[in-house]
Amino acid sequence: MTYLVLAYAFAVAVLGGYLVWSLRRLRELERRQL
Amino acid sequence: MNRYEKAAGAAVALMLIAGAAIFFYAPTDWLQGPVQRIFYLHVSSAIAAFGSFAVVLVGGVIYLRNASPVADRLARAGALVGVVFTTVTLVMGMLWAKKVWGAFWVWDARLTSTLVLWIIYAGYLLVRRLADPGRQAARFAAVVGIFGFIDVPVVYFSVSWWATQHPGPVIINDALPPQMLATFLFTMACTAVLAGVMIAIRYRIEALLDERERVFEPANVIVAREPQTAP
Repeated sequence: MTYLVLAYAFAVAVLGGYLVWSLRRLRELERRQL
Repeated sequence: MNRYEKAAGAAVALMLIAGAAIFFYAPTDWLQGPVQRIFYLHVSSAIAAFGSFAVVLVGGVIYLRNASPVADRLARAGALVGVVFTTVTLVMGMLWAKKVWGAFWVWDARLTSTLVLWIIYAGYLLVRRLADPGRQAARFAAVVGIFGFIDVPVVYFSVSWWATQHPGPVIINDALPPQMLATFLFTMACTAVLAGVMIAIRYRIEALLDERERVFEPANVIVAREPQTAP
């Protein structure tokens, strides 16, 4: 059970983290463009 | 909220439904127990990575044919998202392996070729970051992206070509019970949507960066010049 939880926690951290980071980067670049 | 944030929200909602299916709908494997549930996202992430690297391949081929900045941006976006999904595939697989094989890593053909795939595209991203932006870097990266894709079929067929500890394909061998198969197919579709949204967002970021740095404007294109003779 520990490995299952660790595996999904890692996936959520990487995929969620990447998605949030890229949305913030996009917002920042679009704000600079205006 | 812009359209990218809306799309990301929809993709996250789909992934949450997939998570519910993985943990509450799919039956527990009688042999491996709950840890087998790693399978659903592990394999879906691998397929999403293959799809992302296919985008790099297509983008690279189109770029070499007509030097389209759109194709180059698409390739850059696909490479980054592919590396993210390959990372998830590798780490989830290592945790699953520790439970069922007793070791995080074995140097069998499937694991090794997947690690090589990660290294190829991480190298691609590193080259893009270190090289001066422009058509020269884009052309070189397109070649790396195209040749790098050769490893994708090697990863896929590695379990058939060599004796590996990693199990062979379970989907095409019809080895999954209906509820597990339905959960897997749904998770795979949701992961594909997430990968598509991530590529679209990254594409937009690359377009804005190109615009800011004026990467593809004629003044920034390095061309071979005739040697100047003194008057």
